[in-house]
Amino acid sequence: MVADIQHHEPDVLTVEQLSWSAAGKALLREISFSIPPGSMLGLIGPNGAGKSSLLRCLYRYIKAQQGRILLDGRDIESFSAKEFARCVAVVQQDTLAQMDLSVRELVSMGLTPHKGWLEFDSRQDRLKVSAALEKVGMQALADRTFNLLSGGEKQRALIARAIVQQPRLLILDEPTNHLDIRYQIQILELVRSLGVSVIASIHDLNLASALCDKLLLLNRGELVARGAPEKVLTEAMIADVFGVCCQISPHPQHGKPLISYFYGYQREVDHGG
Amino acid sequence: MGVEWREQSLATKCSLLIFVIFALLTPLLATGFGAVHLSIEQVWQSLLGGGQDLTSRIVLELRLPRILLAFIAGAGLALSGAALQLATRNPLADPYLFGISSGASFGAICVMTLLGGSFSGLLSGSELLSGAWLSQLTLPVGALLGSALSVLLVFSMSGGGYQIERILLSGVAVSFMFAALGSLLLYFSEPQAAAAVLFWTLGSFARASWAGLWLPALAVAGGFAVLLALKRSLLALLGGDETAHTLGIKVPFLRMGILLLCSLMTAVLVATCGGIGFVGLMIPHIVRLLVPGVQSLWLTALAGGVFMVWVDVLARTLLDNQELPVGVITSALGSLFFLYVLRRRRQVIHE
Repeated sequence: MVADIQHHEPDVLTVEQLSWSAAGKALLREISFSIPPGSMLGLIGPNGAGKSSLLRCLYRYIKAQQGRILLDGRDIESFSAKEFARCVAVVQQDTLAQMDLSVRELVSMGLTPHKGWLEFDSRQDRLKVSAALEKVGMQALADRTFNLLSGGEKQRALIARAIVQQPRLLILDEPTNHLDIRYQIQILELVRSLGVSVIASIHDLNLASALCDKLLLLNRGELVARGAPEKVLTEAMIADVFGVCCQISPHPQHGKPLISYFYGYQREVDHGG
Repeated sequence: MGVEWREQSLATKCSLLIFVIFALLTPLLATGFGAVHLSIEQVWQSLLGGGQDLTSRIVLELRLPRILLAFIAGAGLALSGAALQLATRNPLADPYLFGISSGASFGAICVMTLLGGSFSGLLSGSELLSGAWLSQLTLPVGALLGSALSVLLVFSMSGGGYQIERILLSGVAVSFMFAALGSLLLYFSEPQAAAAVLFWTLGSFARASWAGLWLPALAVAGGFAVLLALKRSLLALLGGDETAHTLGIKVPFLRMGILLLCSLMTAVLVATCGGIGFVGLMIPHIVRLLVPGVQSLWLTALAGGVFMVWVDVLARTLLDNQELPVGVITSALGSLFFLYVLRRRRQVIHE
């Protein structure tokens, strides 16, 4: 909280005491945090910790039973569907395999919330789409079919679509899934360079440590730690939440926590950390 | 077509251009065919108001409304199929997804066997086969009511449009239910009724008239306009419900709206010209296969309309002094052409 107060600009997103349960099971419990403008927040945690559910609450795909989510100080429930989509863009984890669309058409979908019923794409819209394609380095592939792209290219196309949406907040659910390490770094650095506020769930802790301003650590639906990577990624915390032993040292390039994991879990391992 | 147009290869552009020219010439060419063969000059003169009296009457009062009705029906069914395939993300979706055709058949059977038990007996067998009984106004009304009933049933069971599977399954269930009820009624009725129902189910444009054109024309034009207006939202559904949601679309609302719109369009068409199969399923696929990556409603409507006009030409010329049911030809031609396109597509990918 101390770090939050230091910012003079109001937070883009504030989550207050959010709880969500499905089929009688509490899957998210009393989660509170906020995203300062222009910062990149990494959401980490083991499988089934509730990362995707939390993100879905943020983009209103599911509705939490308790708590509030404020976007620029306004309850997200008070936004109309279109209005909300003009403020919040989402890059999902899985894209449907069958999308018989060219990359340019896919990116143009980002115009949807900005357009009325019979409005066609103007020259300006087309420039916007081209600019987004250029930003993610996809202009050469603009006329390709989306289905035929590689994983990294698909992800970049989806980010271009989010750019066209011109959001205040960008939500990414495991944007680096299934990508090789070069693309993982490329995608996250690309997202960082956009200058919008970002919240992204990330599996790779080293990647999250290197590229996020702040981290949220989720375990079994509860927020167990939040703050700068140095504060969240401790040997004890990782042993406790992920059940693996590691050693943490400053990264030789940027000095943020670098995690070296220990192996050999088939045998008995000393859990001292 | 705008942006999409510029991105197509030269070969695709050329074939599209040829197709559009062909589509524009279709009314002129197709009018000549029929029991009395007319040359293009005769057709042209009749259209301009000149020409002999008999030829003019054939062209203006018989052939032209018939060609227009075929075009409207083809365009409407193709559009409805394309929109439903997008809205349910199911490649097998067709305009009869919600039991419309079996609902309509059931309505027609009811009219024939329960209300007008006498008139099916009044008409001779040949009159039945030539579709003369269709002049009874009650039959299209019965069909319209039947399809409306089936759509209502599907809607009441589909749970608000959140789950595609639920909508599809309730469509299948309602469809089977009406088919069973229809069969039951037919089983206890006269053989002529069964023959008439069969002919009606397979579809025909033989009864087309200027007076009967306005309702299908209005339904299809209206449906087309709304679909064009909604095209951006429809495309967003391609990416999945969650993606569409993040783009600011109220997914269940949009989906149910599309289903209702297509049902209305289809029900009017079925009531007017019978349940013509395969067009709504096939034309959108063919357009997509031939022009990949472009979801053009204009092209789909045009292709459906032109296809149906030529199918109707075949229906009235293949056999002397007799008309084939349109549905038989659409299914036969359609499936063959579909297989050919699939094959060609596979070869392109292998190369």
